[in-house]
Amino acid sequence: MAEFLQALTQGLLIGSTYGLLALGMGLVYGVSGVVNFAHGDFIALGMFMCLALYSALSLDPYVSIIITVPVMMGIGALVYRYLLRPMVGYKFLMIVQLTLGLSLVLQNGILMVFGGQPARTPSAVESKLWILGEVVMRVPHVIAFVVSFALAIGLYVMLRSTDFGRSIRAVHQNAHAASLMGIDVGRVQVLTFALGIGILAIAAALLLPGTPIQPTMGLRYTVITLLVVVLGGMTNFVGIMLGGLVIGISEAFGTIYLSDILGMLLPYGIFVLIMLFRPQGLTWGAAR
Amino acid sequence: MRPEFYKVLASPVLWGILILAAPLPFLLPSYYLHIVILSLVYVALASSWNIVGGMAGQISLAHSLFIGTGAMLSTALLLKLGINMWVGLLISAAISAMLAAMIAWIDYRFRLGHLSFVLITLAFAEMGGLVVEGWDFLGGASGLLLPRDTGHFLDFQFGGSHGAFWVMLLLAVVCVLVNVAILNAPLGYYLRTIRDNENAARAIGVNVLRYKVAAMVISAVLASIVGTAYVRYLTFADPYLLISPVITIEIVLFATVGGLGSAFGPALGALLLVPLGEILRGQLGGVLPGLHYFIYGIVVIAVILITPQGLLPLFERLWKRRPGAAATRPPTVAP
Repeated sequence: MAEFLQALTQGLLIGSTYGLLALGMGLVYGVSGVVNFAHGDFIALGMFMCLALYSALSLDPYVSIIITVPVMMGIGALVYRYLLRPMVGYKFLMIVQLTLGLSLVLQNGILMVFGGQPARTPSAVESKLWILGEVVMRVPHVIAFVVSFALAIGLYVMLRSTDFGRSIRAVHQNAHAASLMGIDVGRVQVLTFALGIGILAIAAALLLPGTPIQPTMGLRYTVITLLVVVLGGMTNFVGIMLGGLVIGISEAFGTIYLSDILGMLLPYGIFVLIMLFRPQGLTWGAAR
Repeated sequence: MRPEFYKVLASPVLWGILILAAPLPFLLPSYYLHIVILSLVYVALASSWNIVGGMAGQISLAHSLFIGTGAMLSTALLLKLGINMWVGLLISAAISAMLAAMIAWIDYRFRLGHLSFVLITLAFAEMGGLVVEGWDFLGGASGLLLPRDTGHFLDFQFGGSHGAFWVMLLLAVVCVLVNVAILNAPLGYYLRTIRDNENAARAIGVNVLRYKVAAMVISAVLASIVGTAYVRYLTFADPYLLISPVITIEIVLFATVGGLGSAFGPALGALLLVPLGEILRGQLGGVLPGLHYFIYGIVVIAVILITPQGLLPLFERLWKRRPGAAATRPPTVAP
């Protein structure tokens, strides 16, 4: 039983961050139809920026967010404006290929600057544990859980009740009609992409403590994010967070209960099964 | 089969290219021969993927599963059970065909959307890679080493890189010709109907399941055979190269950049991008780790931004505008 609770907690904690990663991608997809295969590489970029800030100014990853978020948002805005916007109207697969080219550039840019050895960025809370009955939780995971849900709720409120949020939803529902209502669709798309990448900067800091980082780690995060977004029904907020928890929990159960390889298979197997029987995603009813 | 197929088959351009290419192993230094062989491998793989991804519009990322089956299974059968590699090639191709039929059936039965299909096939590919890594029979994480190639044709040995070149040339030409054949056969029309509007295709009586399975199986069998031949050339069955989703991503890149859905586009993409990548690696690989891929990525982005419809349409437009161009018939072979 203790083992079960341990796996469940660990899965919930890490799954919430997966959900956050996927919210950024879902938001961008909803507004501009772009599926960004460089998503994970942007996370890696965020992590390595934290590493650079730690080695230069010995900033804790949680503090470096103040610098990494605006920088990543700026990069995101430039990428959308100059690389992705010109592709609007061309084949979906071509846009995917462009983001794959971007992924090569980011991954190897990081490799050129930081080298290929695994690195770690220490944080003040890294090795602290929080023990609740029989369940041991690592404090960075707890922080990640709380911040992820807070951000998800914040995003939800932003979408529901601010002008910017309403313009995002308008473009999602019908870009043409939105432009007739005086919404600058291009601007909304650039800002949403920047927002999505900015969220990744935060997620990077949340995932960083205790994780060895490598330039090639991006693809794994891209795959996890894609699984979660598709599980969640692409643009459904609640569905995506739920999808994150499903993948997080199946990963945790896989590593605790099954052998190495079988454990790694479990999230994919569960994904396939859910997709077969609920191809529209996890939640019932219409999106948002 | 429409007369266009026979026209390509009888085209002097095709036979000219083949005759000019045949003596290449005697002319090229081994390093460049290696690049040419790699390009041919990817021409064959990108063309085989094109049947599913380009013509039927089913963006399948499960291709590494078929390449990996062809490579790892035939090697394991030879090393562990002593089964002749020609027989191993047939067994792996049959298993690839079954996997492909299963995936196509799942796609049909559960009416997967486009993105769900992409992700489900990716999940299958990841699972396939993990199975190979975890199963010692297939080599586990450390891979398998084939015996040295002594040129025994009956043992699926072709005598090093000279033989490998001809085998790969043959496979590449066959894969491209299968593309031409399908495009000009009823199957090609059904597949394009399914790609453009699956519901409409169903409504006018196209047997969607049958043709989806057919496309997937043809594509998988070709990929599996190329996989077996490729591993014979490499002699080392490396799971991280042959059954990793990365190889699929590369193939899809070549096919897309070249021109999706056309018979010669994917081949063109592979013929341009593979040598570019290899030469960049050769020139810059030792300078600074990552530099050659960095430049390669920038080139890919630039090419896509300049020709968002693919390279083949661009070449066709240039071909039509050449001085003294005849009527408006599009060329059958890219220059």
